[in-house]
Amino acid sequence: MSRFESTRRLSALAAGDRGCVVRVLRDNPARADRLSALGVTPGAPVRVLQTFPGVVFLCDHTEVAIEPAVAGAILIELAR
Amino acid sequence: MSCAQTAVVKSDKAPLLKLRARPLRIALVGNPNVGKSVLFGRLTGQYAIVSNYPGTTVAVTHGRALVGAEVCDLVDTPGVNALEGELSEDELVTRRIVAGGDVDVVIQVVDARNLRRGLMLTSQLAVWGKPLVVALNMMDEARRHGIDVDSAALARRLGVPVIETVATEGRGVAALRQVLPDAVAPSIGFEPGREHAAWAHALAAEFRREQPRVGRRVQERLGRLVREPLTGLPILALVLYLMYLAVGVFGAQTLVGLIEKNVFQAFINPAATALVNRLVPWAVVRDLLVGEYGLITMGITYAVAIVLPVVATFFFVFGFLEDSGYIPRLAIFSDRVFRAMGLNGKAVLPMVLGLGCDTMATMTTRILGTKKERLIAVLLLALAIPCSAQLATILGILGGVSFAALLTLFAVVLGQMFLVGFLAARALPGERSEFILELPPMRWPHMRNVVYKTVLRVRWYLGEAVPLFLIGTVFLFTLSRLGWLAAITRSAEPLVVGLLGLPAKTAQVLIMGFLRRDYGAAGLFNMAHSGQLSGAQAVVALTVMTLFVPCVANFLMMIKEQGSRAAFAILAVVTLIAIGTGAGLNAVLGVLHVTF
Repeated sequence: MSRFESTRRLSALAAGDRGCVVRVLRDNPARADRLSALGVTPGAPVRVLQTFPGVVFLCDHTEVAIEPAVAGAILIELAR
Repeated sequence: MSCAQTAVVKSDKAPLLKLRARPLRIALVGNPNVGKSVLFGRLTGQYAIVSNYPGTTVAVTHGRALVGAEVCDLVDTPGVNALEGELSEDELVTRRIVAGGDVDVVIQVVDARNLRRGLMLTSQLAVWGKPLVVALNMMDEARRHGIDVDSAALARRLGVPVIETVATEGRGVAALRQVLPDAVAPSIGFEPGREHAAWAHALAAEFRREQPRVGRRVQERLGRLVREPLTGLPILALVLYLMYLAVGVFGAQTLVGLIEKNVFQAFINPAATALVNRLVPWAVVRDLLVGEYGLITMGITYAVAIVLPVVATFFFVFGFLEDSGYIPRLAIFSDRVFRAMGLNGKAVLPMVLGLGCDTMATMTTRILGTKKERLIAVLLLALAIPCSAQLATILGILGGVSFAALLTLFAVVLGQMFLVGFLAARALPGERSEFILELPPMRWPHMRNVVYKTVLRVRWYLGEAVPLFLIGTVFLFTLSRLGWLAAITRSAEPLVVGLLGLPAKTAQVLIMGFLRRDYGAAGLFNMAHSGQLSGAQAVVALTVMTLFVPCVANFLMMIKEQGSRAAFAILAVVTLIAIGTGAGLNAVLGVLHVTF
């Protein structure tokens, strides 16, 4: 599987999906800074825990809750 | 000690005798929730408020710590995620401390499980060039998670001491003290222009080893149960019910009854009255102390017998939930609702705390991201969040009326909260911030910690509340002596009797309500119990009281947090809404002939 095919927005993932952060969109720099401060940066391992009512995921060993709009800005490469 | 003099019998580079104009100042810095405050306690022997969610070290704690023979000044700073870029208020506070000339050494506390995040902060701290020591904390939890960090190699790479610690057990603290005098500025080989994140990622990958874990831990399973709506909402209902049992039943009924009847009415008040009557020849002073509006018979009795038990039980329950990591998870459920009101899920923290004390909650609105959010949160706290003493009164009075009466009040108050929040979100300038929240691990709280925190908060509350109760009593006493109370009550009569349909005496209770909301609530409690209020009147009076202007203490805190212009504007808006809603409710209940 090529890298491109398996890259998805975090908002499109289901609970239980695992992967790595590829990129955090910088259309909103403040948001990207806050995520980066929590460890959500390229290369970080991610596991989705929950998608409703908000998105909750484990990044490294930090549990993070975000609203769907923020999840749309995080690009994840799914682990096979 | 203002001047510390130390002989350093050590390596070749350090001078033999160090003369300092002031004690060495050390700052504890780190991500939120990594154990800074616990380490502070270990180093100083003092207690800093330890909590399981960010935003609790609102004020900076200072203490004295012994390093070798030298007494040093230790500063506990609010937890930070970054010191560059877009910063929160907590982060600005910490950056000012670290960047300022006052701090000589920085101890960075790092959660060993989250080395990457810690190192990202290290690279930002290095920019300031302060001598640094890294405390690699929570090594025990990290090892249980199958994580190991090569601290010796990391220390060589960073050029600063890296000490493994378990602050909760005091492990590694002695070693940390020992290396503090050796602290030097890190030489991290961080090329300017490179991203902190990429540097931290590479370094963490080099020095951290992780074994794949087997099986799911209880902690994780519990976290999932309270987080998922299907199980989380019933758990929330259960938690609220248990909270009601603890605060509303045990605190407000059992304890209040016990203290008021068995202690105050049986002993203190009769004894004080007898004593004052015997010793004080002046009638005015006798009245001031033990009369109808007496300092002892009214002021102290209300403060200690009625309010204190409620507040103490609330703070205990809140402290327990706070330390368990449960409260931040409520933010996931409430995020959507708060977004409609121009806030985000994070606002659930001050709102829940407001159920205990709105004044304290107003102070906590600092954790919210933007100016607009802080203003809306302060407004909603003032308007719609009843504090524990008020809740107890509401439940005490309306519990005796009917369940429908209770539902009506909460529906009206919540409705106003959504409406006002919704309008404020659209009318006020500015932005809301996006919901991004770190969830601390679920833990069984340390009882000692919870009890200690309750004691500290109750002490804060007493120091702030009791003087106001006494001032309020003297104020009421003076008004009554001068005959002004009757005049004010008369002039408010058309409003209170005509518009709200309440007995004239309620005017007096509402005036007291401004001095302290719970004080006014207690006054209503007395009126209801002596049969001066009908069911519908009780609902209207309590609705107005709940929505009404916050107590003086809360108002002063509003001025402190938002400035006097905003505070007076909120006061005016809230007063208008309270009276308007009360009048509307009275009219509707009258037309529908609802008596409850």
